Amino acid sequence: MKKFIFGIISISFVLGQNGYELAKMVDEKPTPKDLSNKTKMVLTNSKGKTRTNAMVSKSTDGNNKQIIWFIEPKDDKGVAFLKIEHDDKDDEMRMWLPAFKKVRRISSKKKGDSFMGSDLSYEDLSSRELDENKYKRLDDEHVDEVDCYVLEIIPKPEAKSTYTKHISWIAKDGLYGVKEESFDKRGELKKKKSFTYQKLKNYYVIKKVFVEDVQKKHTTEVTFSDVQVDTGIDENLFQEKNLKRLPHN
Amino acid sequence: MKAHSIKHWIISQSLNQPKRTIIFSLIITAFMASGLRFFYIEEDMMKLLPAEMDSRKTWETIKDEFGNTEMIYIAFGNKDKSVFDDKLIADLWNLTEALESIPEIEEINSMINMNKLQSEDGNLEVEDLVQSRDLNADQISEIKSYLDKYPKLKLRVVSQNDDYVNIIIKSYNDVALDVVARIIDTAVEELNDYEVFIGGVPYVNGVISTLIRDDVIGLVRIGMLVMILILFFSLRSFPAVLMVLSVIFLSVIAMMGSMGWVLEITGSRRFVFSLINTSMPIILLTIANSDGVHIITKFFKKLRQSGDTQLAVEQTMESLTLPIFLTSITTAAAFLSMIYSPLEVQTGYGVTIAIGIFWALVLSYTLLPSLLVLKKWNLDSKAVRETSFLENVIDRFGKGVLENPKRVLSSGLILVFIGLIGINWLSVEVNMQSFFKKGTTVRETMEFLDREMIGSLDMQFRFEGDMKEPETLAKIERLQNKMEENQEVTTSMSIADAIKQMHRTVMDDDPDYETIPDTRGKVNNLFTLYAMSGDPDDFSSLVDYEYSSGLMTTFMRNMTSSLIIEYVESTHDFIADSLEAADKITVTGMLVVFRDLITLIIRSSAISISISIVLIALIAGFFFKRILWGLLAVVPLTSAVILNFGFMGIFGVDLNHITAILSSIIIGVGVDFAIHYISQYRRLVKQKVSVDVLSREVVDDVGYPIILDALSNMAFGALLFSQFLPIQHMGGLMVFGMISTSVGTLTILATTAELLKHKLIKL
Repeated sequence: MKKFIFGIISISFVLGQNGYELAKMVDEKPTPKDLSNKTKMVLTNSKGKTRTNAMVSKSTDGNNKQIIWFIEPKDDKGVAFLKIEHDDKDDEMRMWLPAFKKVRRISSKKKGDSFMGSDLSYEDLSSRELDENKYKRLDDEHVDEVDCYVLEIIPKPEAKSTYTKHISWIAKDGLYGVKEESFDKRGELKKKKSFTYQKLKNYYVIKKVFVEDVQKKHTTEVTFSDVQVDTGIDENLFQEKNLKRLPHN
Repeated sequence: MKAHSIKHWIISQSLNQPKRTIIFSLIITAFMASGLRFFYIEEDMMKLLPAEMDSRKTWETIKDEFGNTEMIYIAFGNKDKSVFDDKLIADLWNLTEALESIPEIEEINSMINMNKLQSEDGNLEVEDLVQSRDLNADQISEIKSYLDKYPKLKLRVVSQNDDYVNIIIKSYNDVALDVVARIIDTAVEELNDYEVFIGGVPYVNGVISTLIRDDVIGLVRIGMLVMILILFFSLRSFPAVLMVLSVIFLSVIAMMGSMGWVLEITGSRRFVFSLINTSMPIILLTIANSDGVHIITKFFKKLRQSGDTQLAVEQTMESLTLPIFLTSITTAAAFLSMIYSPLEVQTGYGVTIAIGIFWALVLSYTLLPSLLVLKKWNLDSKAVRETSFLENVIDRFGKGVLENPKRVLSSGLILVFIGLIGINWLSVEVNMQSFFKKGTTVRETMEFLDREMIGSLDMQFRFEGDMKEPETLAKIERLQNKMEENQEVTTSMSIADAIKQMHRTVMDDDPDYETIPDTRGKVNNLFTLYAMSGDPDDFSSLVDYEYSSGLMTTFMRNMTSSLIIEYVESTHDFIADSLEAADKITVTGMLVVFRDLITLIIRSSAISISISIVLIALIAGFFFKRILWGLLAVVPLTSAVILNFGFMGIFGVDLNHITAILSSIIIGVGVDFAIHYISQYRRLVKQKVSVDVLSREVVDDVGYPIILDALSNMAFGALLFSQFLPIQHMGGLMVFGMISTSVGTLTILATTAELLKHKLIKL
C-alpha cells in the first residue's frame, strides 16, 4: 500500500512540464528507507454497516518488503502477512494462520481483486510503471486551497489495467497526490480517492486515505498512526518465522 | 315517484334530444379515456403481494442483503459434442464479455470468470479458471480436470454430459424483466453454430408477460370478430351490431382511462395494471354486451309489435331501465367487494371495473337509445319482421323446461351436487412449466435445464446466526444434504461449500478435509486467507457484510405446486425437529412466493364471491321488495360458480391466478341474467298475466336475449387456441361459464320460480 503512496510523495519544484515529465518527477522523488506504523482500516458498505481492521505494519526497500500483523478484529488477532516483491519473478506472499498453526503461501494474479474487502485493489496498491501509461497534463486546479497539477493517466494495454483512465491532482508543493478519480472499462467513474499527508524528516508521509467506490457505494478509510520513518528496520525481520509473534516495538 | 321521474327524464333525453345526448356522452367518454396517458403497467409479481407477508419480507431482506437472487440461464452447445473445445470456449468468452458490458446486468457467472482455488506445494492460489480467450489443448484439459474435481461447481457451468455450457446472469433489482429478456435475446443472436436455451424465472416472467399480452390481444380480436358474427346472424342488422359494439368499446376505453386518472389523482399503487388485470377488458366487454343485447332485442320485439321507432324505444327503456340499473349496481357491488381483498391491486381492479360498469350503464341509457331513435329502421327488414332461428330454438327449449319443471330442477341440482363433489378435486397449480404446451420453446428450455443443468427453479433459505461458527455452518450443511435427498433437487449452494473447499485447499488439497473446520478460529482464518488472496466480494451473495446471516440456495427441476408445498412443509418440519433453529431460518424463492400469491388470490376470490353473493341478494331483495327474490337472484350464479369450480376439479383444470378470475365473470354475467328474468317475471305478475303461462312468457321474453348474450360471449372460446394452457382453460371455462349461467337461469331459476309461483305472485 505504501509503495503507491510513496510513489507520489516527493519534494520537487516543477514548472512547465508536460504530462510525462511531471509523472517522471513524481515517480523519482525520494522515499523513506523504511517505515512502520499502526494502520486502522474502516470499511463501510452502502447500508452504513462497517468492518474495522487494525494492523501493525513494517516495511522497507520502498515497500518491496512488508510484514503485517493483524490485531483487530479479535477474530483476526495473530494472523500475519509477509510480502516480498521481486522484479524478475512472482512476488512472495505468506500468511500465518494461527488456528491451523500453518504458514501458507498465497498468490493473487487478479489485479482488480479487492485488498481485504476494501475499496483498494491490488492494482491500486501497486506503483504504476512509468512507461506503461500515457500522460496528459490538464489545467491546474486548487483542491481545498492546495495548488495542484492535474494529470490524466491512461494505462497502455501492456499495463493490463482494470481501469481506462485516472485523473490525479498532485500538490505543486511536495508532489504528493491530493486526490484521484479512476474510471472503469466502460469509461464510467469507479473510485474517488483522497489523501492527507504529514511531513516527517523531509518526506511527505501519508496520514489518511479515503476511497469511495461510487458504483458500489462502499467506502474505505485508512488511518495511519505512530508513523516512523528511517528507523533502521532489520532486514531479517522479513522472514517467515517472524510472522508467528507480534513485535513488542 | 322520484325514481319514476328520473327514469322518464333519462328516456326523454334520448327520445327528444338524441344528437345532443350522443355528443355529450361522447365528450365525457373522451375525457375519461384521456386518462389512458397516466396508465401504468406493473410486471413485477412481487409488488402485488402485501408488504407484511412472510415470504415477501424474507424475499426483500435477501435481496437487500445479498442482491438479486433470481437468475437467468443461457445454455448453449451441441448435443454429444464436448464443450471443452477451443472455439466454443472462445465464443463463451466473447458472450461473457458482451454480457458483462451491459449496464442492466449486475453479475455474470460462467466458466470464463470462475475462480480457481488450488493448493500447490503449500501455495494457495486464487486465479481465473480460464486465463485467456484462446487456449491450447493442455490448458483446456487443465480446466476440465479442475471442474471434474468439484462436480458441484461444474454442474453450475457445464451440463451433465459436457455438451452444453451454462451462463448464470443476475440483473439489477430495479430493471424491468421484459427489458432483461430483450437484452439477452439480442446478446445470443451471434450464437448461430449452437443450440441455445434461455431460461430462469426472471427471463420466463419477462417473456411470459409480453407473450401472454400479445397472445390475449390477438385472441380477443378473434373473439370480438366471432362475437360480431354471432350478433350479426342473430340480430340480422349490421347497424344494430355496431350500436352494441359502440357501447362496449366506449365503456372499455372509459374504464381503462379512469384507471389512469385515479392513479394520477390518488397516486395509489392499487391502480396499476398487472397481469391479473388482463381480464378486465374481457369482463367489462361481456357485461356491456349484455346491456346492449337486451336493449336491442327488446327494441326489435317492440318495433315488430308497434311499427313505431320512438314508441318502441320508449317501451324498451320503460321496461329495461330498472333491470339494467339493477344488473349494473349488483355487478358493480360484486366487484366493489374486492376492496376487502388482501391483494392491493384487486382493490383497483374492483373499483375500476365498477366505474366501467357504471359507464356502460350510462351509455346504455343515453347513447344506445339515441342511436336507435336516429336510425331510420326498415320495418320490412328480416331483423324487425321475423323472429330469428335462435329465438325459435329458445321458444322450444322454454316449452321443454317448463313442461317438466321438477325433472329439470332435480337434474340441475344433481349437476350442482356433482360440482360440489368435484370441488374437492380442484388443484392449485402455479408452476410456470404448466403454462406452456409441450413443444413450445419456453417449455423445451425448461425441460432442457431440468434434464441437463441445475434446473430452472430455486428456493432460498436465509440463516440468521454467526456465519463463522462451525455449528451454524454444520446446520446449513445438514439442511443442504437433506434438500439434496429429494430427487428433483439438482444441487445447492452456500457459504458452507466455500468454507469446505477452502479447508481442503489449505490442508494440501486432501479430500478428507473437505469439511467444516472444528473451530471458529479456523473458519475465521480461512475467511481472512481468502480476503488476502481472492476477493471477499466473491462471497457477497452467500453471506452478509457482518457474517451474521447467510443464504443457502437450492436448485431444482420444475415441480408441481403440490410437491413444492409438501417439500417446503417437510423442510420446515426438518428445520424444527432436527436443526432446532426454526426461528433462525426463513424460506422464500419465486415458487414459495407464487404459492403464497395464489393462496391470496383464492382467499380473496372466496371472500369476494361470498360478499358479492350476499350483497347481490340484499340489493335484489331490496329493489324487488322481497328477500325471496334476492335469494332467487343468486341461485343461478351460485350454481354456476359451484359447477365451474367443480368441473374444473373433475376435468383436471388447475386453478391459478388466471383461471381464478373466472368466478368474477360468472357472477358479473350470471347476476344480469337472473335479474332480467326476475324483472320480467314481476312485470308480468303486475300485468296480471295468468299464473299458468307466467313462466312460459318470461322465458319467451328474456330467454332469447339471455342466450344471445351468452352465445356471443362464448366467442371468447377463441382463447382455447392460446399457446398458454391457463388461457386455453380460461377460454374453455368462459364457454362453460356462459352455458352454466344462461342455462342455469333458464332451468334452475325458471323451474324454481315455476314451483314457487303461488308464493311469488303475492307481490
